[in-house]
Amino acid sequence: MSGNRQSSTNLNTRINQSSRSLFLCTTAWVVTTAVLGFGPKLWWDFDITLTLIALVLNLIAGIIMLMANFRHLMSMDELQKQTHLEAMAITLGVTFIATVTYGSLESVGILEDTQPTNILFVTGVSYIVAVIVLWRRRTSE
Amino acid sequence: MRNKLKVLRAERDWTQADLAAALDVTRQTVNAIEKGKYDPSLPLAFKIGRLFEMPIEQIFFSGAEEA
Repeated sequence: MSGNRQSSTNLNTRINQSSRSLFLCTTAWVVTTAVLGFGPKLWWDFDITLTLIALVLNLIAGIIMLMANFRHLMSMDELQKQTHLEAMAITLGVTFIATVTYGSLESVGILEDTQPTNILFVTGVSYIVAVIVLWRRRTSE
Repeated sequence: MRNKLKVLRAERDWTQADLAAALDVTRQTVNAIEKGKYDPSLPLAFKIGRLFEMPIEQIFFSGAEEA
């Protein structure tokens, strides 16, 4: 089986490489998002040209991050891939329900100032919980 | 779907990690297949068949069939 050990290294190498790439792309996106968020006020006094450049860079970084995430998903083995895809499906449903419910809290007068970005926390937590639960259910010894 | 992956692996004195390495999947995937918690894709089933030099219907079978 010595030759077969090489295959496992390939899987691990593939996942490590795509994880590193995803980390770098996500970091780049976070940095460009911060620049877009704070730059106009702190660094260039709302200059429209610089703001547009920051916006375009942020969008490009976002698209590159999306592609890195897709490559990372494709580098996984099939059980990992299926687990993540199912977690994404659950997250989509949870996010949809949470968005509608959270949005109606403002219209019925329970909350005064709803922030759409708060839904990102629901999405993140839902995805992490779904991956852990699905993976443990399938791989428990 | 049931399978006799564990038996075939044991006959060759391979660990789950050995088999996982041969199939380019994680050890957890091999474990899940052996326990019937996950049905492999057709390409992976064929890969398993090639590795054990057996047709896939001799490795995988429905719950109603005999091993």
